[in-house]
Amino acid sequence: MNNFSAKKANPLQKFIFNLKKHSGLSIGIIILFAFALISLSPLFITYIEPNKMDLLARLSPPSSEHILGTDHLGRDVLSRFVAAVPVSLGAALFAMVVILAISLPWGLIAGIMGGRVDAIMMRMADIIMAFPTLIFALAIIGFMGASLEASIIGVAAAWWPSNARMIRALVLAAKEREFVRAARLAGASDLRIVFRHIMPQILPPLTVIISLETASVLLALSSLSFLGIGAQPPTPEWGAMLNEARPFFNQALHMLLVPGLAVTLAVLGLNLVGEGLRHLLDQREPYKW
Amino acid sequence: MIKYLLIRLASALPTLLGMTIVAFAIVSLAPGDPIEQELRAMGIVPTIEDLNALRAKYGLDKPFIYRYFDWMSRAVQFDFGTSIATGRTVINELKLHFPATFILAISALFGTILISLALGIAAVASNQNIASFLRALTVVLVSIPSFWLALILIYIFVFYFGWARLVGDGSLRDLILPVVTLSLGSGAALGRVVYERIRAEMCEDYVRLAIAKGVSPAKILLRHITPRIIGPLATAWTNALGALLGGAVIVESIFGWPGLGQLILQAISQRDFPIIQAYLVFMGLGFFVTSLIADIIVIITDPQLRRKNSHE
Repeated sequence: MNNFSAKKANPLQKFIFNLKKHSGLSIGIIILFAFALISLSPLFITYIEPNKMDLLARLSPPSSEHILGTDHLGRDVLSRFVAAVPVSLGAALFAMVVILAISLPWGLIAGIMGGRVDAIMMRMADIIMAFPTLIFALAIIGFMGASLEASIIGVAAAWWPSNARMIRALVLAAKEREFVRAARLAGASDLRIVFRHIMPQILPPLTVIISLETASVLLALSSLSFLGIGAQPPTPEWGAMLNEARPFFNQALHMLLVPGLAVTLAVLGLNLVGEGLRHLLDQREPYKW
Repeated sequence: MIKYLLIRLASALPTLLGMTIVAFAIVSLAPGDPIEQELRAMGIVPTIEDLNALRAKYGLDKPFIYRYFDWMSRAVQFDFGTSIATGRTVINELKLHFPATFILAISALFGTILISLALGIAAVASNQNIASFLRALTVVLVSIPSFWLALILIYIFVFYFGWARLVGDGSLRDLILPVVTLSLGSGAALGRVVYERIRAEMCEDYVRLAIAKGVSPAKILLRHITPRIIGPLATAWTNALGALLGGAVIVESIFGWPGLGQLILQAISQRDFPIIQAYLVFMGLGFFVTSLIADIIVIITDPQLRRKNSHE
């Protein structure tokens, strides 16, 4: 595409041009889209039942029957990988929804109210942030008993304060803009200011935060499942699959590669989308020496 | 400057108090009765009288506030009770496992600092192509889960090359793979912070002036940019310690490193509440104190605060 056509490009060409310019973002979107397709694929393709054991075909390498091989109980690794997409990603997304449900109102109220309310709310968030996040989650799981639900609650409880802090910082910056002050002087109500003037401003940077945080939440949840205190067997979950692979991966490398690559790619997709969006929003250029 | 230090220390106290309340509250609010579960696990079906007697023995029948102060007064004397599973005192269990985790976390912190500086400065100093390659490498390294990285390193270095062993005796040689596993991810994440900090400073006018004056790039980086970013970076590095302490649990479990991570995983599966609680307090305090020390160092080394101080 030469310069001339880039200038006069129709919307589709412009879109493709932008994709090339923001390659990281587009790769990230493609990865996430692929995972969405894979999670929907059981509607169109019949996989082998993910928990069906075939003890005669234990640890068998990839073949035409089992495209990604079988695990230590002779279960099909491909169908377990596919069945794990909604579990692993769904758990991460659900945890993120819980985190936002707490941190968004928390950050908004603290940022808008300011003063003593802000000080007390942020001090409460600081207390939880003073613990190492994963260790706080571990402790909560320890007291609730190991399960996928407990690990989601533990991660959400440990992750919301840092999110609330970031949202508060965004609100503080948004609040100081001239037109927000003008709206306030014109007599707009607090609610109107929040929803009409502040939310639209913090939404783009919030998208970046959500994308990056979902990546770290996914890492944390799969780590917990890997440690055996998240999703419990026989639930297909990538971290749990890797945990089951530990005694055998020397004999069956596919058991190590498939779930590991799945987590890495999903986290990578979320990180690339977050980073790409951030880059899109921040166009400052450094001075060159 | 002393004023700032005092303010920082004073503001730490309520957080500290809050942390102990949170650590205590999690146990009290936990579902299920630990005594009943423990007895059932031993195959005993307890009568109501037995349960009540045992609850009274462990003080579980008293109100929350009372139990909190009771717990606190013993906790400040490092008395966290006895482990339900082993019957040994909790503090002895912690002492036994603490040194291994301490060595691992500190080594990983140094590894993180080295890797982040190397990656960040390399990305700033190199040309467009190498810089974008380094950025891509960083994103990939950040995205690899540490448990998978550890297994891959084990596959390559233990099974394939035979350079390392899996069941070590806790010598320094056995520390290499766990430390590499722990510090690669956080080093890459912080390398991005280093890069972004330097890049943000390079957008400032004083850098433009220095370039115009003909100051060499190395000198701009060391003399002009470093003093301005070292404070925030020190804070970021100490914050990384929190992630390293959490990551240590995973890495210890994989490499069989005999630290607190092993202890806590065992405690979670056995529902050994006193151990979990003491571990949370201990790790929280350790992380908290480190952050406090880092903040104090930042305050002491902040050139603007120092200048203000000498003018006063």
